[in-house]
Amino acid sequence: MIENVKINPYQFLVLVIFFTIGTGILIVPSVLAAEVKHDAWIAAIFGTGIGLLIIWLFTTIGQWFPHLTYIQINEKIFGKWIGKAVSVLFVSMAALYTSSLLYYSATFISTNMLPTTPMAALNILMMGIVVMAVRLGLETIARSAEIFIVFFFVLFLILGMCISSQIKFENLQPVFAEGTITLVQSSLYFVASSSVNAIVLLMIFPALMNKMKQARKSFFIGNLIGGIMIILLSFLSVSVLGAEDTAREIYPGYELAKRINIGDFVQRIEGLMGLLWFIALYFKTVLYFYATVLGIAQILHLKDYRPLTLPLGMIAVIVSLVIYPNVVYQKEIQQSTEVFFSLFVGLFLPLLLVIVYAFRKNTLKKSPEPESP
Amino acid sequence: MLKSIGILLIAAAIAWFEVPSLLEKKHKKELLAFSIFLTIGVALSIVLAFGKTLPSPMELLTFLFTLLTDLMAPLL
Repeated sequence: MIENVKINPYQFLVLVIFFTIGTGILIVPSVLAAEVKHDAWIAAIFGTGIGLLIIWLFTTIGQWFPHLTYIQINEKIFGKWIGKAVSVLFVSMAALYTSSLLYYSATFISTNMLPTTPMAALNILMMGIVVMAVRLGLETIARSAEIFIVFFFVLFLILGMCISSQIKFENLQPVFAEGTITLVQSSLYFVASSSVNAIVLLMIFPALMNKMKQARKSFFIGNLIGGIMIILLSFLSVSVLGAEDTAREIYPGYELAKRINIGDFVQRIEGLMGLLWFIALYFKTVLYFYATVLGIAQILHLKDYRPLTLPLGMIAVIVSLVIYPNVVYQKEIQQSTEVFFSLFVGLFLPLLLVIVYAFRKNTLKKSPEPESP
Repeated sequence: MLKSIGILLIAAAIAWFEVPSLLEKKHKKELLAFSIFLTIGVALSIVLAFGKTLPSPMELLTFLFTLLTDLMAPLL
């Protein structure tokens, strides 16, 4: 009906990796270090583990209806009107995070590279390429992600290898100073931002895949690889910068790149390393925006989602200008309200869906399958 | 004033880009949704261009979640 393309499991794997790393690579080490100090990397391990459980829930929901997107599953299980209400909540989450990520990318550029450029200009530039990608469709997004993942891994390897000579193991000691419960609690933000929000991938996961079984596997593997990269980055930040400095920085990973120094010759290559953050943030924004636009089109039963991209892009730019008045507010909100909202939409509603499905299983089986999207 | 004229020009460009193909295909519902979202976008950006501050959507969410936790507190 709306999208006829199918992407293969490998392309989906790449998208999941980008989605998991996305904002995590920018801010997660600092959030973790602020709460559990030098045990930040252990908290990241716990976070990845919990994340995999949540992904298991999502893939199970996806497997029940291999031809429907999340919006259509909602409508089928909750009925027409309640289903639409749930879908509206889901779409508003995706739309809000599109703006939120636009804000992240704009503040990242304006604090580090272009301090006097107004934020509106940076937002419009970023949104322009996001809208372009969504208009071109999922296949284009997946194929470009396939190309960029190579750059991404090479840059990440360079960053890791160049900085590893400065690791000081004293910064990590004492290991496991915080209790297990504190570690699990503090990993909540990481779980919410990289695994619970992966519910937006349910817009593409069952419906637009060509090999269901392998796609499920790549959902898990992608989440795991993303988690491992964030664990590595937290480990490097804490061991090189120290726990206090990591907690104080807004972008600890970027600070790491600034400290690269090979024989007093290769120095200050953070501009190049900034590509890492751009690529990851860009693909995460694209996936959020794609879920928003496709979601609205499916709620309203439109034949094509493309006409909505430009007006919604305009709204996203405006919301991103007003969403956080300043960085302090952003830090405060992202660890309270955003986490609650993510857990509500990404964990509570799917669990409700599972419960309702268990009750309505028999009546649903009798009704004929609708045509694929 | 200049800013709002610029915004209207951009909106006109978007409409000029999208509307003809929608009219040609006779997608009435898409056209309706498109114009509603475009109107919202233009209205918000003109308010912003006149220097008024819009409330953050996060304020609403924070309010709702405080309400929810207050309601749930006696139950826990």
